[in-house]
Amino acid sequence: MATTATAETNVAETQPAKSARTVSPYNPANAVTASRFLTLPPFVWAVAHGYHQLATLFILICGLLDKLDGLVARIFDCRSPFGELFDAITDGICYGFGLIVVAAYGWAPAIPVAAIIFLGLANSAMRFVYVKRAGKTTNYKSYAMERLVAYTGYLIGFATGGMEVKFFYWAFVPLMLVIVGYDTKRMLIDPIPEAKAS
Amino acid sequence: MKDQILSPVAFKWFLTLITGVLAGVWFFYDSFSLIRTRKADRSNPVVRDKHFGYVIGIAIGIIGVYGCLRFQGVV
Repeated sequence: MATTATAETNVAETQPAKSARTVSPYNPANAVTASRFLTLPPFVWAVAHGYHQLATLFILICGLLDKLDGLVARIFDCRSPFGELFDAITDGICYGFGLIVVAAYGWAPAIPVAAIIFLGLANSAMRFVYVKRAGKTTNYKSYAMERLVAYTGYLIGFATGGMEVKFFYWAFVPLMLVIVGYDTKRMLIDPIPEAKAS
Repeated sequence: MKDQILSPVAFKWFLTLITGVLAGVWFFYDSFSLIRTRKADRSNPVVRDKHFGYVIGIAIGIIGVYGCLRFQGVV
């Protein structure tokens, strides 16, 4: 899901011409990112069997690995545009899948989940338009959406833990509407900032 | 709940703490960041985006803390 394509970083802006070093996609940070997928089968198993605490544990591990991959990338100095994109795509798949699973098993209200996924996909589509407008591979950075992605991870935990589920899900939707609206204007209308040369 | 890693009471407090502490810290961190950068040049789109992000972070912090208080039956 693209909501989460949010943790993306505009590498061209944040790491301007730092070096021409090529980073292999097979690096420790991407391995940590990929390992997040391993939490999904046990998560589904736990939800299917009604194991609330185990499901919470697996989604917590998934969220912690998301924080760990950035740290590993810094430690091993293996940050790359591919890594940023892979991280964002993994966020989208893991959290989108998690939301669908909890909604499918009746642990979360279906209408807000459908709205969140729809808005996430719309946000993703606009990111592709932004890349086309820019004429080069560039990621769109949204400080607000980064915060919302963390909230998305928590949403799944609220569902598995039975914690004020309706309140947190319905509170999320207007926030996401505002952010997607703001980001849409930036991506489709506002001028694209020039990448720094040095 | 069929799985019992923690007792139901401990699990409830665990959820409250990992949500409430993060939401509270987030609220203060983004509030502080917003105050710290209030004089920055808002004609710069990056500054505007950061300010918008801080405001959203504050809103999420409030929602998180309020949700925890509801969960614990305080409000």
